[in-house]
Amino acid sequence: MEKEEEDRNIRILRTGVLSPLKRWSAKWSLWPCHFVTSCCGVELAHAFASGFDGERLGTLNMGISRQANFILVEGTITRKMARPLRIVWEQMPDPKFVNVIGACGQRGGIFWNSYNITRPSEIVPVDFFVPGCPITPEGLLRGVRAVQDKIAGKDETTIKFKKVTLPSEGTGEESTAPSSPKKFVPTPLVKVDIARDVDWSSGSAIVSNLKSELDGLYKSITITDKNRIAIKTAPEDLVEVARKLSGNVGVDHAKSVNVIDVPHERKFILEYMVSSYSSKELMPVIITIFTDIVREAEPKFPSLTPLWESTDYSEREMHDFFGVKYEGNEGMNSKFILAPETQTPLRKDFNIAEETYVFDESVPLNPPIELTSDLKMPAPEGLFDEAEASDEFMVLVGPHHTGSGHLRWILRVKGDRIVDVTPDPGYVHRSMEKLAENRLYIQNVPLFERANISDPFCMNLGYVHAIEKALGIEVPERVKYIRTMLAELSRIGAFFYDSGIFGLFTGHSTAFMYTWAIREMILEAVVRMTGSRCTPSFIIPGGIRRDVPKDVLDMTSNFVSAINKRLKKFEDIFIYNPVFVARTRGVGVLTREEAIKCGVVGPFLRASGVDYDIRKVEPYAAYDKLDWEVTTGDAGDCLGRYMGRYEEIKQSLSILKQAVEAVKGMPRGDVINEDILGEYKEASEDIKGHLFHVYGDLVLPKGEWTSVIESARGTLLYSIISDGDSNVPYRVRIVTPCWMNLRGIIEASKGERVADFWSVYGSFGYFPPEADR
Amino acid sequence: MEEVINELMGTIMSNQLNIPALQPVLDSVSQLPVVGLLISFILWKPVFALLICPGLSTVGILLLFFPWVERKLCGRIQWRVGPREIVPWLGGLIQLLADTLRFLFQEVIVHKDAHRPYFLQFAFLSFIAALLPLLFLNAGNVIAIETPYAIQAMLALVCLFPFFILGLGWASNSRFAYIGTVREAFMYFAYEISFIIAVIAMVVLYGTSNPLEMADKPWGLILNPIAAFTFFVGAAMATSRMPFEIAEADQEVAAGPHVEYSGIAFGLIYVMCYEKAYILCGLMTVLFLGGGSGPDIPGITPLLGNDLMGIVWFLIKTIIVLTTLFVLRTIYPRYRLDQGLNIGWGAMITLSLIALALSIVLVQGGIVL
Repeated sequence: MEKEEEDRNIRILRTGVLSPLKRWSAKWSLWPCHFVTSCCGVELAHAFASGFDGERLGTLNMGISRQANFILVEGTITRKMARPLRIVWEQMPDPKFVNVIGACGQRGGIFWNSYNITRPSEIVPVDFFVPGCPITPEGLLRGVRAVQDKIAGKDETTIKFKKVTLPSEGTGEESTAPSSPKKFVPTPLVKVDIARDVDWSSGSAIVSNLKSELDGLYKSITITDKNRIAIKTAPEDLVEVARKLSGNVGVDHAKSVNVIDVPHERKFILEYMVSSYSSKELMPVIITIFTDIVREAEPKFPSLTPLWESTDYSEREMHDFFGVKYEGNEGMNSKFILAPETQTPLRKDFNIAEETYVFDESVPLNPPIELTSDLKMPAPEGLFDEAEASDEFMVLVGPHHTGSGHLRWILRVKGDRIVDVTPDPGYVHRSMEKLAENRLYIQNVPLFERANISDPFCMNLGYVHAIEKALGIEVPERVKYIRTMLAELSRIGAFFYDSGIFGLFTGHSTAFMYTWAIREMILEAVVRMTGSRCTPSFIIPGGIRRDVPKDVLDMTSNFVSAINKRLKKFEDIFIYNPVFVARTRGVGVLTREEAIKCGVVGPFLRASGVDYDIRKVEPYAAYDKLDWEVTTGDAGDCLGRYMGRYEEIKQSLSILKQAVEAVKGMPRGDVINEDILGEYKEASEDIKGHLFHVYGDLVLPKGEWTSVIESARGTLLYSIISDGDSNVPYRVRIVTPCWMNLRGIIEASKGERVADFWSVYGSFGYFPPEADR
Repeated sequence: MEEVINELMGTIMSNQLNIPALQPVLDSVSQLPVVGLLISFILWKPVFALLICPGLSTVGILLLFFPWVERKLCGRIQWRVGPREIVPWLGGLIQLLADTLRFLFQEVIVHKDAHRPYFLQFAFLSFIAALLPLLFLNAGNVIAIETPYAIQAMLALVCLFPFFILGLGWASNSRFAYIGTVREAFMYFAYEISFIIAVIAMVVLYGTSNPLEMADKPWGLILNPIAAFTFFVGAAMATSRMPFEIAEADQEVAAGPHVEYSGIAFGLIYVMCYEKAYILCGLMTVLFLGGGSGPDIPGITPLLGNDLMGIVWFLIKTIIVLTTLFVLRTIYPRYRLDQGLNIGWGAMITLSLIALALSIVLVQGGIVL
């Protein structure tokens, strides 16, 4: 970044006779262009919605870069997003200002050693940094104020450090540098199918049924856990096994596609996790089909997309990560979620930076990041020529577009009809799966939470649930209810988040403001309980960090009533608004078969008539002890998907109320399981001060541990592979609901009108940071 | 020569704005050589109409403060405050001044794909074109060009707006501008016919198209509410208000025809939308709300005189209509293009024809007048 470029804007404002007027007007008219780059966008929206109302300062959010003069870089800038950031910045008229919010924008924050992030200050000149992960709305507005001051001429926003010399202690002993707490086993034994004796009555029957169906095709069928079956096959038999499963057993969708790199054995383990919506018996069961293939530069393997279309995008993802070429999948020629220059980063021989505990001159504080100067945004080859030849029109939506969110959609339209949609995700890919392989189990709790800060507790709960299953820990009764309460709070919060965005997409700004005002209440309750608005990391293996006091519980139940009351107003202005109904009814219909085929999950699947909710199918926390119902519909259109979720939220409010009452009725007591605490029994009511002692050396038993929970937007799957000796996971696979729903959006919007795309997109509650991880 | 001047002075003096409260001051000032002439020139009704009200000054003040009113009002409806910190004790009243100045001092980018001459021309031309109908708009009995065809002339000029927007979009030469422009063109045809029929219905009803004569008749809103409704919806479509903000849909086509404009060029387009809205609401006031007519207020009417009271009533009514039009934004989402067209070609035309029939029945049946 050249100095001249950095100072240009201020120079423009300070020259000329009219300089005072220029400065005054620029100061009070900083219009941020709508450039959502990562999850801090949630808090940004809070800053400009009812609660904090950034418009007070004269900053009006403007969708179009040409008319804005201010960029609020919201957190992480990935390699893929770096190009759009520069392009948007260059599109804006001078004088223009940049404010970077969030810790990731400075040195990467929690993702500091990710292979996919860059530093915004190397791409555009930055006027002010606001720290925080995520920032609070107050912090953001303070950042805006700071830029205003800078424009007005008050530049002294930087603290000046004074140099002091510390007296040396002079003990003469050279202190030893702390060593890394991480333990890696150089040649671990990675096994996916480790048989266990579990209390699962119908398990043996299912296994014997599978054995008879797949006779001669499998190498072994093992029960690895309750409701978990692993089938090992030879590489050439896997497709046949899959065909038998889908044809005879009733397996109709894939939950995950996974590859495990085992370099010292020169093999890749290819996994498909599949399950069934049609057979009641198989609903909670996850069948893992896996095989070993030879590890080479570009191994080839037949794709399973003809059988289960829901594997499509995950296979493309694995192609990006490991270079496995799935033959038969269309997306194997280009990168899907990674920037074009990144090569197979999840292979074990792709190294990322390690922490240093002692300052070392030879190790740079900011590891250099190589950026490409190429500002082209690659689009699938031949797409444009092909479209032009058939009298069609390509519309590139995003990643900087008022209605795109953090990803790019390439719409191919004929007249006003959408012929095809090509998604271009990965603009918020922060490489969580790779980072997790390099961190302690407990360090991954805050990491995974950042996948979706609008639904933090469910993201937490899923991961912690997998660990607890592995360790065989049962949490105290009170904790179960508190966890249920927290999960429902975050589900309700996520629903209002999506409603607000849906409102904006259909042009209803009042809906956005109302929902954000309601979210403010939910966040207040979360703050009182946990101390953080969006990233509490409150749920830890064995329990929760500390107990929730009674007055906060009272306040939460008051909030439930307050939300119910405001919901009525929201209903009147948005949900039953005739224009909204006209925009969504009969639009983007997914039938039951289509929805299952393209792998839609969660409330969006239930809206198409599939009665599948993990809270009922495989209950966790206290869901089996509370009184609630699963809401299903059969319309499958945008209105159905939205109303289904709305009804579900009414149920959630009832669950929340019940859980709060239940917790109130229980005596205060331990909130962390005693077994996991070991010698630190005094930490059983509050983990403060003991977190590292208790969890630093957590090691999971050997094998693969899969947990599925129902997060706000659908099935969230964590699959942790442990080698049994290291205190870091060997591989973690996260399949988030939004990632699975991506294909649903594509399928539902085909054949609809251009404007309907935003109805479909809004109705799916797509949250890009969650999808890209 | 002298005769000509005298005749001119006679014309000017015979058609002066009469303000009883200011009359003594005006009388004394009129004795001064140049100032007096200037003041009587400004108070000459046609010039007053052009320069002060409903003309340029009113438009200027409205453009500076009405967006603020809109933002504040929407803010209140949406449980927030709206612009404030710029002058906290006035509630951020001069927010738009800062925005306008900022646009004025900002770079105007002409991207390389644009058709440069037209790209710049249309931004300025459209601002001026949107002002033309003011020639025939009357506030009370103040009008720039008094003609029995004022309503028709205004309508013709109002229907010019979309051509300039099409020009903006065409000159921009960008994908979203292109889609937005096509949408604008579609919507234009959809609302225009019913809009014109609604106006014709009122002309038929009143038996005249001279706005000064309309003011003496009963309110059109009461006589023919269907025409009033059709006109209002047509105005919402013409000014791209919710729920018909289809051509400029931010989330869909990224501000449509305006997407490539920056700096003062965008500033002009931005205020053009308010100009359009003001003119259509003024027309609505004239056609349906009795124009500048209003009850006498004891103590004030004798002071201000009928001319000025007409202006005051006109402004009050116009601003009420304008506010209603702008508050729609907070109530409705946006229709899809095909739904907008359906409403335009279906319901709106039907309604306007019913309104026309109603007018004919009322006139023929001798119920009115």
